[in-house]
Amino acid sequence: MLMQGNEQIVVDYVLAAPPAKVWRALTEPELLGTWLMQNDIAPVVGHKFTFHAPPRGDWNGTVDCEVLEVVPGSKLVYTWGGGSAKDDGHKMETTVTWTLAPAADGGTLLKLVHHGFHPDDFGFKMMGQGWRSKGAAIERVLAGIS
Amino acid sequence: MQVELMRALGDGTRLAIFERLCAREHTVGELKTHFDVSQPAVSQHLGVLKRCGLVRERRAGRFAHYRARPEGLRPMVQWLTHYRQFWPEKLEALSAMLKEMPDVDAGK
Repeated sequence: MLMQGNEQIVVDYVLAAPPAKVWRALTEPELLGTWLMQNDIAPVVGHKFTFHAPPRGDWNGTVDCEVLEVVPGSKLVYTWGGGSAKDDGHKMETTVTWTLAPAADGGTLLKLVHHGFHPDDFGFKMMGQGWRSKGAAIERVLAGIS
Repeated sequence: MQVELMRALGDGTRLAIFERLCAREHTVGELKTHFDVSQPAVSQHLGVLKRCGLVRERRAGRFAHYRARPEGLRPMVQWLTHYRQFWPEKLEALSAMLKEMPDVDAGK
């Protein structure tokens, strides 16, 4: 799966509610907490906040975030640190981008992009052209472990 | 661990070394012939890959033989697997919540 040239997670979702309502569900702590995790979000660039959930498996239950971009009603970007990593001091630094667009019938097309990789990282380079053609050996290897 | 892992392979030379070592075992000298870098530089790259668990070393006489340790990539694969499941589940929950939520005008 790693070799699908898709080292970010993209989810498109059509919601029956209008963008303004979805925006609230993404930016108000209580609403966001209802469907995602307990948090102290604020749609303000530079705001640092944390998601909390019961620890599970290798995950310590905490996600550290910082708001990077806010376009009220249409775009929200924040960092997403940790999450699935073991708490060994080297947490994953990723970015979550939400975009909202009006859909037919007054609904919302919500797009989530979870970038897993920094531009200097392997994963990001794998998205680039040509990597897969020369990465055949790794491809075979990964097929065996994923 | 993942960050180190991905930074390690983010370097073009290291990635190329890792690819070669996925195919078969090499000594530092053998690796050097394929790259336009000094032998100490190759050793340094191997050190980084080793620390990340991406390469293993086997000593035989005067030579050290290196080969890839592909299972070292597992944390990255696990990360993707986890979130590919996580987000669709959460968006289902969002959709359900929105249905219960009063209209935006009725809110604040």
